[in-house]
Amino acid sequence: MIHSYLYLSIILFCLGIVGVISRRNVFTVFMSIELMLNAANLTFVAFARVHESMDGHVLAMMVMAVAAAEAALALAVVILLHKHKSKLDTNVFSLLKG
Amino acid sequence: MEQSVNYLGLIPLFPLMGAVFIGLLHVFSCDRYKLPEKVYGLLACIGPILSFVMALKVFFALKALPVDSRFLSHKAFTWFSVGDLHVNMGFLADPLSCLMLLFVTLIGSLIHVYSIGYMGGDKNYGKFFAYMNLFLGSMLVLVLGDGPVVMFVGWEGVGLCSYLLISYYSEDRSNVLAGNKAFIVNRIGDFGFVLGMAFLFWAIGGQGFDYLSLKANVHHLTPAIALTVCLLLFVGATGKSAQIPLYVWLPDAMAGPTPVSALIHAATMVTAGVYMVARFSFLYAHVEMAGTIVAWVGILTALLAAIFGMFQDDIKKVLAYSTVSQLGYMFAGVGVAAYSAGIFHVFTHAFFKALLFLGAGSVIYALHHEQNIWKMGGLKSKMPKTYITMVIGALALAGCPPFSGFFSKDEILYSALATGHYGIWAVGVLVAGMTAYYTFRMIFVVFHGQPRDQHAYDHAQESPAVMTVPLIILAVGAVFAGFLNVPGGQTVSHWLAPSLTEHHPHGGAFAMVFAMVTSIIAFAIGIKIAYTKFGQGGPEPVFNGFEVFAYNKFYVDELYNAVFVQPYKAIGSSIWRIIEPNVTDAPVKGISRLYMILGAAFKVFQVGYVRVYAIYMIVGLSLMSLFLSQSLN
Amino acid sequence: MFADGLFIGFAVLAVLGAAGLVLFRHPMNGAMSFVVTLISLAGLYALLSAKLIFALQLIVYAGAIMSLIVFIIMFLNIQPDDLPKEETKLLYIIGGSIIVLPVGLFLVKIVKSIPMSSAALIGNDFGGVKQVGLLLFKDWLVPFEIVSILLLVSLIGAVVLAGKRGSIK
Repeated sequence: MIHSYLYLSIILFCLGIVGVISRRNVFTVFMSIELMLNAANLTFVAFARVHESMDGHVLAMMVMAVAAAEAALALAVVILLHKHKSKLDTNVFSLLKG
Repeated sequence: MEQSVNYLGLIPLFPLMGAVFIGLLHVFSCDRYKLPEKVYGLLACIGPILSFVMALKVFFALKALPVDSRFLSHKAFTWFSVGDLHVNMGFLADPLSCLMLLFVTLIGSLIHVYSIGYMGGDKNYGKFFAYMNLFLGSMLVLVLGDGPVVMFVGWEGVGLCSYLLISYYSEDRSNVLAGNKAFIVNRIGDFGFVLGMAFLFWAIGGQGFDYLSLKANVHHLTPAIALTVCLLLFVGATGKSAQIPLYVWLPDAMAGPTPVSALIHAATMVTAGVYMVARFSFLYAHVEMAGTIVAWVGILTALLAAIFGMFQDDIKKVLAYSTVSQLGYMFAGVGVAAYSAGIFHVFTHAFFKALLFLGAGSVIYALHHEQNIWKMGGLKSKMPKTYITMVIGALALAGCPPFSGFFSKDEILYSALATGHYGIWAVGVLVAGMTAYYTFRMIFVVFHGQPRDQHAYDHAQESPAVMTVPLIILAVGAVFAGFLNVPGGQTVSHWLAPSLTEHHPHGGAFAMVFAMVTSIIAFAIGIKIAYTKFGQGGPEPVFNGFEVFAYNKFYVDELYNAVFVQPYKAIGSSIWRIIEPNVTDAPVKGISRLYMILGAAFKVFQVGYVRVYAIYMIVGLSLMSLFLSQSLN
Repeated sequence: MFADGLFIGFAVLAVLGAAGLVLFRHPMNGAMSFVVTLISLAGLYALLSAKLIFALQLIVYAGAIMSLIVFIIMFLNIQPDDLPKEETKLLYIIGGSIIVLPVGLFLVKIVKSIPMSSAALIGNDFGGVKQVGLLLFKDWLVPFEIVSILLLVSLIGAVVLAGKRGSIK
């Protein structure tokens, strides 16, 4: 049934969260976020199949567009950060420490 | 049956408005350009003179009324009304307050005119006249008030102005300390006064707390309560009118300018206590013991102050102790229930004491603010007008017939004799002799003999007319005022009778003659001793033994300092050092420290790594989902 | 039958790729395994009759976004020393999974409460380009326009961010 797709999506989502909170590498964090977005996409498409309406596909397209936009900006920021400190460690940038 | 007249309220209002106006002028023109002194002088004298004119109007209005309804009252507005206590800002003009009104405004106006000359060149000219007008306004409120509360307003007001004016030369620390002393000692007296008022209200104040209602209800008082009220009110009088034990501020108050000493500490403010006792004559007559205590305190103060006065070397201090002594006489008078005699002595004393102070001021002014009598001498040829007027004042003070002081003092002594207070009479006669001695010691040392300081003597000259004319006017008063109440005529006593609860004693003609003769003898002895010692001008005497003790005023100030002031200061500073940091500051500081600790505790969470903030988010999310999955069951 | 096998294969590949992304040290390795995940996800979309999304996933996600990421990784010329020394990586991962466990369990519980429905057969028109396009431009026109504005904004943002030459301190 459709449930297996949903379970798979849950597994991918949780893996994405684990990746965000436990890795210090900037790229890994970013790609984990993309992984979470993909898990959400899978859920949309699965439910579209269940309800036999294509709204889920349209929403999945929107998500993909947003992910693309966000990828561009995030990578620009990563390049700037690398220029600033030539390190890829999220722990280095701690100006908010209070 | 009183008639209501509106212009009663104007009498204190004129000087008060003047005070405000002059004060504002002074404040706003201080930094820009100074107004000429004539402007301030003119503005300052308008108020008192107008009040004097209105006082005359009141006098004639009262004269036109029949004797048993000689009251004029005016209720300006209801001040407050709480429970049983209804206090109006009201004014009452009856014969007693009319008499006080007349001489207060007259002498006040004369002294204002005198001050125009005396204070010339002073840089705070406008401030001085603002304070003087404020004082006169407060004194008029005190005199005209229709109940104890309004009187107390004036009472406090004159105390304030006394402080302001004593500390007038505020660059000198000792002057400011003298002002503080006056105010604080006054305050102690005022506490007694307030307690007395409270008791009085509690006992009979429910049906109205003004003099007329109180007089009507006084028979409701038990003797014990009446005695307590009388004594508490008298405590206030000891503060304001400088009796034992609260007289210590008056000699120090001589630090103020001489016109201030003349007006406040001789003629008007210090007599407020006597006026108060006379006002409450219905109360004091109710309980004879209170009057006896008042009389004894008064006469003992007179004795003590006379002893001090005999050894002083500052011309103003001699007159200050003389004032305290004469105030003692006045209290002796009202204490033996001779209220009109006491008030009459207030009246004559105002003239000759103001005259003596203004004359002393004239001498001080001429010698460029030298006040030590042992640096003066032989001034009678250089300052004739001052000399003659001062001699007239001195004769009046010492009680020489036919000057005014003789009649008023004699009336008091005769009343003491006639009511059986022989002790008071005897001390009174002794003090009369001492008064004559110290007064003429001052006159002889200052005006007779050889000049002791040649340089000062050469520069001395008679004071300008603006200062000598008031002296002359006051001298006329000092000479002739006594004739208003000669035995036999008794004009003043009859005039005052409706206001006072008085029973005139009849001691017989022998007692009257005896009293007169003894006081004349005392006067003669005093002046003879003074002439022998100082008539030809002598050097400054050297004191030994008892004289040193008396010169240092029996060390009373030092005693008060050790017994009251130092312990109080110690308590205060220990509170400041121990209690305040630990009890009152600690909770406040503790709260702020608590917040700082809490903040430091929470600071641990702000690590600055975004990853950790994401972890916080996820932790929150998982907790939420835990909770939700529970509720989903 | 065959569909179930396909599904299991794609699902395993997806999970393995995701695990690799989280576990690999060098981001390049992580990116490659992520590509594996994306492609298997595309296969899953195809199994769900989402033809357009299948294509778009391959073109946009695996094709454009991942190539952009790989390009940047290679552009920055990462040496092994530049990589952060994550000694406690395993510890954090285990800790993270413990934290995430309740979330996952909660989601599983929700999914379990969805009633099972039979997989009805659907026609050929489902998920095709024309149908999705019609839906997009008829019912979802306004969100479509807004998303295009969003893309414009991100384009400008990227240009501005990358263009700041001398103002980096």
